[in-house]
Amino acid sequence: MWGSILRISIAKLWTRPRAALCRLGWTTLLTAILAGAVPKFAWAQLSAAPRPVPILTGSAGYFTVKDNGETELVPEVIPVVLLPLGDRWLVEARGEFKGEFARREDTGNYGGQVENELDYLQVDYIANSHLTVTAGRFLTPFGMYNERIYPIWIRDLQLVPLIFSIGTGSSDGIMFRGGFALNSKVNLNYATYFSTLSTVNKFESDRTTGGRVGLFFTGPRIEVGGSFQKELQEDRKNSFGFHFAWQPTPLPLNLRAEYARSVYGSGYWVEGAYRLGQIPHWNKVMRKTEFVARMQQTFAGEEQPEGDDEYNLPRSNVQQPDFGLNYYIKDGLKVSGSYSRWLGRRNWNTWTIGIAYRFAIPLGRAE
Amino acid sequence: MRSKLILSVLVLAVACSVYAASSPKKDKAGEAVVTTQDNSEDLRLEGEKRFRANCGRCHAAPHKFPPRMMATIVRHMRVRATITDEDMRLVLLYMTQ
Ligand code: HEC
Repeated sequence: MWGSILRISIAKLWTRPRAALCRLGWTTLLTAILAGAVPKFAWAQLSAAPRPVPILTGSAGYFTVKDNGETELVPEVIPVVLLPLGDRWLVEARGEFKGEFARREDTGNYGGQVENELDYLQVDYIANSHLTVTAGRFLTPFGMYNERIYPIWIRDLQLVPLIFSIGTGSSDGIMFRGGFALNSKVNLNYATYFSTLSTVNKFESDRTTGGRVGLFFTGPRIEVGGSFQKELQEDRKNSFGFHFAWQPTPLPLNLRAEYARSVYGSGYWVEGAYRLGQIPHWNKVMRKTEFVARMQQTFAGEEQPEGDDEYNLPRSNVQQPDFGLNYYIKDGLKVSGSYSRWLGRRNWNTWTIGIAYRFAIPLGRAE
Repeated sequence: MRSKLILSVLVLAVACSVYAASSPKKDKAGEAVVTTQDNSEDLRLEGEKRFRANCGRCHAAPHKFPPRMMATIVRHMRVRATITDEDMRLVLLYMTQ
């Protein structure tokens, strides 16, 4: 019954959109949209899409980091496996293999270890056009850095922000996420999740719940959003944060900022990345060159328990300006260098230089 | 106390968005259907527009991959970037032609 009313009314949208819509009424329209009826109808022509093939993708990189006078060599391989199943399923996994080799005082040779981590191993079920259900181990949806910028071929500065540890990491559990157009100018995206406590090697996770909501304004290309996280264990701590991203249309400029707060401290970062394409000289080279500047500040809170987390918040108040230069050799391949100055109880410099490459190999016939 | 406040703000944000969604939607639905009336060249152009709007937001906009790889990548990005279904379909069309 619903189906036929909808079909008739939607068919009239072709000829007399407003009259038909009045008859349809808000409720029907909303139901239709939630059930995915409008997209199915409107995009029927697009249903002959190619069948997806499994892919091995990810990135590899090699960086030299000179931190407070000590040099560290950091080779990294971060494979991502994508396994699409049927029309609605995707299994995805990412591992991280990261070497950290420093010069030994005694021998003068470089020595160290290779760490490996399982960032995510998840099954996604695309339930309808506005909802995807994810189960397994996934990147905790909090702020934007971890989910969107973290991979070494994406990040503009190799050093992660000082507030990176707040609310971030991986969670084992279930997540609901999706997005839809509120109108022709605003898209909403959301993610909400619940995760369990796990101490299993490589699957470590806390018992938490939380989520993120973002609004993307398609005209000015601005996204604003907020995140929240609540621990469901120990003293049930809360964290929250806000994020902002803006790519002004006429300029090759990428502006991003985040603020986050937890009991261990709070802080923000503001970053601008500018492609130098508008400089008339050396245009071919300049177009591929990107200049990055970031300012960050953190405010220490309660003492954080000692853990093996490499990304703990600074113990005292810190300011850190960062500057970087990226050169995009081709799609997915860049060399980048950066300079940061830590301004806290003591001050020091950190330099990084290296190369990052994103690869994608089909595991089957690609055409 | 503070957490409750934040939670209420988030809930309020979602509520406002859903409310906002209910009013301009009629234009949206009308618009979407009008585009399908046109030929596939218009869809491709619309796809290019959505590609430009969406695919350079987090990383540099990538080149085209073979069609079956593109289908996987777009599914991956759809989940990761919570991009709308409509955007994804149009981007896939554009990226595989
Ligand atoms: C919200 C941010 C975001 C948006 C928007 C986005 N991407 Fe991505 N993209 C990512 C991230 C993050 C990765 C790396 C995934 C990983 O390593 O876990 C990625 C990876 C990729 C890759 C490498 C292969 C893969 O699937 O991992 C390709 C190609 C790609 N994106 C293309 C696109 C296209 C095409 C669009 C537009 C539809 C797009 N991206 C929009 C964040 C985004």
